[in-house]
Amino acid sequence: MNKSITSLFIASVAMISTLMPTAVQAALYVTIVQGLGGMPEFDSAFTDQTQKIREASLTLAEESQVTSLGGDSATRDALLAHFQSLAAAMTDADRAAIYLVGHGSYDGEQYKFNIPGPDITDADLVDILDSLPGQNHFLVNTSSTSGAILEALENENRIIITATRNGNEKNATEFGPFFATALTSETADINKNNNVSIQEAFDFAERSVTEFFESSGKLATEHPQIRGEGAVSFTLARVQAVELSDDNPRISNLLTRRLELDAEIESLQLRRNEFTNSEYIQRLQALILQSAEVSEEIETLRESSQADVE
Amino acid sequence: MLNKVVEKILSHTTVTNKTVTVSLCLAFLLPSLSVNTFARDHLYGALENEALLECDTLSWSGESAEARNCYASLNSLQHPPQIRAEAFWALGDLQSANTQFRDAISQFPEDPMVRIRWGELFMETYQYQEAFNLFSEALELDPLNSWAHIGAASALSEGGDPEVLNHHLSSVMEEGLAPYGARLRAIMMTIRSLLQGDRYDEALNSLDEAFEFASDESLPTMELKALRAAHAFMTREEHESWIAAALSESPAYGDAYFIPGYFASIVRRYKEAGDFFKQAVELQPNHWEAHIYLGQNYLRLNNINDAIRHVNISYEGDAFNPMTVNMLRLLDTFNEDFVAISYPDPPAGPLPEFILRLHRDETNVLKNYAQKLSKDSIDLYSARYNFTPQEPIIVEIYPNHEDFVVRSIGMPGVGILGVTFGYLFAMDSPTGHPEQSYHWGTTLWHEMAHVFTLEATNHFVPRWFSEGISVYEEWRTGPIPGRKIPTDVLQAMAEGKFMPISELDDGFMRPTYQGQVIVSYMQAGLIFDFIDLEYGFEKIVDMLYQFNEGATPVQAIENSIGISDKEFDRHFKQFIDIEYGPLLSGLGVWMEDMRVSYAALGEEKWDEALAAAQRAVFTYPDYVENNSAYIVIARVSSQLGNHEEEFQALQSFWQKGGYLPSALLKLADYYLERGMKAEAEAVLMDTNYADPFIESLHVTLGDLYMETQRPAQALEEYKVLLALDPLDKASANYRIANAYNALDNAEKTMEYLMTALDIAPQYRPAQQLLLEMSRTRN
Repeated sequence: MNKSITSLFIASVAMISTLMPTAVQAALYVTIVQGLGGMPEFDSAFTDQTQKIREASLTLAEESQVTSLGGDSATRDALLAHFQSLAAAMTDADRAAIYLVGHGSYDGEQYKFNIPGPDITDADLVDILDSLPGQNHFLVNTSSTSGAILEALENENRIIITATRNGNEKNATEFGPFFATALTSETADINKNNNVSIQEAFDFAERSVTEFFESSGKLATEHPQIRGEGAVSFTLARVQAVELSDDNPRISNLLTRRLELDAEIESLQLRRNEFTNSEYIQRLQALILQSAEVSEEIETLRESSQADVE
Repeated sequence: MLNKVVEKILSHTTVTNKTVTVSLCLAFLLPSLSVNTFARDHLYGALENEALLECDTLSWSGESAEARNCYASLNSLQHPPQIRAEAFWALGDLQSANTQFRDAISQFPEDPMVRIRWGELFMETYQYQEAFNLFSEALELDPLNSWAHIGAASALSEGGDPEVLNHHLSSVMEEGLAPYGARLRAIMMTIRSLLQGDRYDEALNSLDEAFEFASDESLPTMELKALRAAHAFMTREEHESWIAAALSESPAYGDAYFIPGYFASIVRRYKEAGDFFKQAVELQPNHWEAHIYLGQNYLRLNNINDAIRHVNISYEGDAFNPMTVNMLRLLDTFNEDFVAISYPDPPAGPLPEFILRLHRDETNVLKNYAQKLSKDSIDLYSARYNFTPQEPIIVEIYPNHEDFVVRSIGMPGVGILGVTFGYLFAMDSPTGHPEQSYHWGTTLWHEMAHVFTLEATNHFVPRWFSEGISVYEEWRTGPIPGRKIPTDVLQAMAEGKFMPISELDDGFMRPTYQGQVIVSYMQAGLIFDFIDLEYGFEKIVDMLYQFNEGATPVQAIENSIGISDKEFDRHFKQFIDIEYGPLLSGLGVWMEDMRVSYAALGEEKWDEALAAAQRAVFTYPDYVENNSAYIVIARVSSQLGNHEEEFQALQSFWQKGGYLPSALLKLADYYLERGMKAEAEAVLMDTNYADPFIESLHVTLGDLYMETQRPAQALEEYKVLLALDPLDKASANYRIANAYNALDNAEKTMEYLMTALDIAPQYRPAQQLLLEMSRTRN
């Protein structure tokens, strides 16, 4: 029997419901802005990061919903126009992920992300995020001095990541490459659910930055920051395709059952404070055992199918 | 005699001798603190004010209450501001003293003595540069002023240019009209220098001359007597009578004990030093310097609580002392930050064999490796040196290098790796050296050897002898055996800079060129390698025990080996010529090959780098420092896809004692690929002694143990992995669960397994283990 695995390449965020085929309705719109490098090595590094982020985003979002803007297409006017049309296209249920890859500057009052022509400022970023419908959007700014935007941008409805603690950390940053790498890294997938969440990508990149400075014996010149709620449940990329169905109806049913069990486990984890520790572990163990049995059954069925073919 | 340097290892500021011409605009600010003190240094006639002298005489004779009233009476406008400053100073109000001196300079700008005494006030508050500037200004006013020269020399002795220091001392000694008191202070500075340099005969001559001089000029001699007591102690003579003599002259003179105590600590006689310091503070409770030295000494003797107590007392009395402040900061959280683990637990006898004191954050990473190294080295040294430790040995490992240095010598900024005080030694953790050049296992091995050489000789072993044995043991029996001689030491060898054995201590204690200390370490290590090879190891042990009987190194050689030191030097030179002659004659070529190989590597000129590195290896195959030519060969071979060549280069590097962690991990991968599990295991264990803070190391080693059915050892590696707080905690917990499962510990297996699955519910290997356990149980 031929097996067909349908990968979930639909714009979504990895909440419990996103694992359920019936609940995939919210779309994720990704915008990657590549700023000016100023030097060939920075240009090359920014291009590499942009490509990695784009490829990772395409594991979740449709191609039409992933926009990369760099060079002459990343002027202030072009960016404002892009976000204006994005705001028009999005619904309240959708989410936006915005990546700023490049250099930044801060003069003590105003932050600027360096692009051709007039730069994008912190005030522009506030306007852009405010203009988007819905809530819980995400912006990561990997530039030097990016911490300067935190105060202006952070609020309970959005998740903000910056490479630096404030506007005084002016050195070119190491954070960006690590964050981009995290999106395709199994190591970053800490809960091994084949998704990389904002929190997981941040933890991976932050750890990598710390290790970079420690191993090189240098004083850390950047301290990544994360603000906002929901980073754990906001998926940015998938490191492996999720199986939703199979040509074999029995396997398909089991896949659905496993997704249901995984959802129950997540639900239990969110309610862990309602139980004593031993109660919680008992319930968790029972659910995971069921999930493990389902996985085993799927594997057995596939192995026997394979044997039949051979 | 005066041209010798007064060196202070413990200096904490560098005093520059730039002349400062404008003083009043400088920020001569003393902290707004008072010193809770009533100890008054003897002025040796520097001031001739009768009213002040009357008070000083009361103070020096121990009549404290009378002296206090006397000084208080000087605080009236009938006395000039510089005398009021002296009174405030004596009463402990340094802020007011400072203000009065500033006023005095305004009123008497041409009087050098005002500046000199103000400088002395800055000396007392450890602001040596400011003090030096004032002494320099005084010398501009009066270039022949001996008090100013003495002041400048004192300031420079805290970290200034030794030549300039000697110039100032010479100026006093050669100035025919120098006040007798200034001349005596210059002589006493010289005596201190001679004692610090173990030059006891010259010190004794100077002491005799100084006593005669002081007697002729009716100068006080209690400080001389204290120095004489120190000399007697250091030369194993009766010293109590000199202390008694000092006290009969000045009954409350705490320095009578403190000075011998200081010199006892210089020669590492810490128990005796502690006794001196204790008596100093009993006699003179406001001797704050004695309190801080007593606190430091307690720390060296592993009496932490008393150390904290005396550091606190010192701080309450004198908050200016940077050593006190540093130690206070360290000890403030010492008991919370560090964890003590005894081995064996419970002890086999009344006491444990050794105790690891590790930082709380690193305990679970270091403890197993530190335990093994400690146990192995104690067993080995006990047998080799016929010495059974009489107390538990304390091993302290510090993640913060500056904390370790402050713990050891009171001040930060010194490039040491380990310090042994007897049954206790302290050392850096690998986390204190992130640049991969530090092999902590070797440092532990080195310091443990010091424990044995110090304690087997009741701390009488000479510095070079103790260091030499430690280096020799590193090379012969340490975790990464093999001689490791840095390039600059080879250069020194080629230039004939090795010293006669009778003078080798000078290379450690009084270096005359940059890098001489490390040259001396290597020479001392080679000396014991030579004695072992030429005369047999038992001669080394025989020599060691002679220091208990008061033998000098020259006598020890004559007694044990039966030749004179000159003859020994000649034989040793022949040994060096045989061992290193060919290399040293071509050293320039080898160094050029090394330079070219690394330069070409950086420029990605692979063929050129490889050729130069191969030439360097041919010339000096044993060079396995982290910048070894083997590393170049391995990197080039990797770039060119020549995996067999890379493997061979890394293997040679490791087998000859190389320890660069990244190179060893790569070699372990090669061994595992080839199925050479025993070699892989050995390489990985060696990596632990270089840097156990690498997560992948414990995964690989733990997995290897599991593969070879050694779950207990695997479990230890996985626990270290978890202690490193890895990003991937799910798989770390799963590995621990797996190891417990192999050990048939179902409860622990389930504990770690559920932790893994709580983090990663869909983690398939963990799910499978859960299924397996569930079915086994059912």
